[in-house]
Amino acid sequence: MNKIRGLPPEVREPGPGVELGVEDGLLCQLLHSPEFNLFSDSVVFESYFIQVTEPGNWMDVCEGSTTMILGVTSSVPSLPLPNVLLMANVTWPRSRFSTQSTPGHAPVITLRRILPLKYVELRICDRLQRILRVRTVTEKIYYLKLHEKHPEAVFQFWIRLVKILQKGLSITTKDPRIQFTHCLVPKMSSNCPETTPESSLPSSSQPSETLMLQAAEQTSGSFSQLSSRPQLTADRSIDTAIGISSSIRDKTPLPVVSSVNLKVPMRATLQHSLWEQEDPDEHFLHVPVASSLGEHFLGP
Amino acid sequence: MAYAYLFKYIIIGDTGVGKSCLLLQFTDKRFQPVHDLTIGVEFGARMITIDGKQIKLQIWDTAGQESFRSITRSYYRGAAGALLVYDITRRDTFNHLTTWLEDARQHSNSNMVIMLIGNKSDLESRREVKKEEGEAFAREHGLIFMETSAKTASNVEEAFINTAKEIYEKIQEGVFDINNEANGIKIGPQHAATNATHAGNQGGQQAGGGCC
Repeated sequence: MNKIRGLPPEVREPGPGVELGVEDGLLCQLLHSPEFNLFSDSVVFESYFIQVTEPGNWMDVCEGSTTMILGVTSSVPSLPLPNVLLMANVTWPRSRFSTQSTPGHAPVITLRRILPLKYVELRICDRLQRILRVRTVTEKIYYLKLHEKHPEAVFQFWIRLVKILQKGLSITTKDPRIQFTHCLVPKMSSNCPETTPESSLPSSSQPSETLMLQAAEQTSGSFSQLSSRPQLTADRSIDTAIGISSSIRDKTPLPVVSSVNLKVPMRATLQHSLWEQEDPDEHFLHVPVASSLGEHFLGP
Repeated sequence: MAYAYLFKYIIIGDTGVGKSCLLLQFTDKRFQPVHDLTIGVEFGARMITIDGKQIKLQIWDTAGQESFRSITRSYYRGAAGALLVYDITRRDTFNHLTTWLEDARQHSNSNMVIMLIGNKSDLESRREVKKEEGEAFAREHGLIFMETSAKTASNVEEAFINTAKEIYEKIQEGVFDINNEANGIKIGPQHAATNATHAGNQGGQQAGGGCC
């Protein structure tokens, strides 16, 4: 398209998602790098989280705190919803987490797991503390606290994602006879003293995403320091910044997970909720998330 | 760290045969007797040296459970090597090898090197599958074969490294087109510009672990 005479080359402005660090982040760059070359046509929505212990006492799992990147993407870009969950460890090779974005302090991103979203349940566990609960079908549970450097808007996006995964969109089918291989998130009651996505979203008083974005953009500078993005400009720099460490499990402790019942590795009943008719008053869900988590994810 | 080549491996086999334990032993040199059921893919990586060249093994540990089988199939793409694992103390895991092999052959490139592994060799008293049976199956299907113990680390290094050697030899013989990423081989960044199709000579191969 750039070859059409008379037309200037396409210049794509980075969207607000990039500014917020939730799109085109380090995990995305790692996935799209030659080393993995995964989901190369799909957008990745990602954020930094700190793994914390179970409800009531939100302490960092490790003294040095386990920072991880949680992301979602689509195995096929045309899917209406994401169907893949990504988990990566983040380590700072030279020093503990620092907001200083100095060369040599780029975090090392280590891809740990790829999970089909249909085997994962995402819930908002504590809205005020910005804690997400990730439960796999094998009953591994992670409590993940959104990194403090992320503005509030980012957690709102996670809330929205959880809701979309639970209830679908207007463009997604509600016909239970149609077997989808993605995004049928189990709908289970939880022991977590959480606010459900529904209750945590004050629908009437919820600020519009545009407003949230505007507010977020004012604070997103701090996030760009976190990601050390300026150091990643090409494959070469990706290689230095995102080098997978030798013995992955040596340098990065395995995330501590809460296992509810080890003797029953698979939930006996994997009941997926049928996608329900969305609330017509719920303005969040009117924005299609087709092509998944690209600019559209951020809404109009 | 820089590497000359990156080989993608996939570990397949029935649930509970020790796939994740083999990976953990290879990458961490430790054994974890209780391991959570794998869903999706878990990744490991380690640098090894073959013929003086740094080779990064990117290892995809997959779910063995039948329910996840269709998903596992999608991970074969672009694998240069596969470790097909059974448990020498469970006959059924050996009986299912043919199905796994069919899957592997069908969904991967035809040159993929497959190492058949009879794991849990430390449990000799509970053995249900003779070593000769594993050897015969491997011979019949053109696989490499080893018995290993993820618990004692017996032959674990060798299983991963011998597979890499076989891949490396295929590269040298020109069997693998290293410029075709579908073969599960990537040239390291610093070698991409200068590397010819063949790298090094076949003599004096050395292999050993190292950090990457």
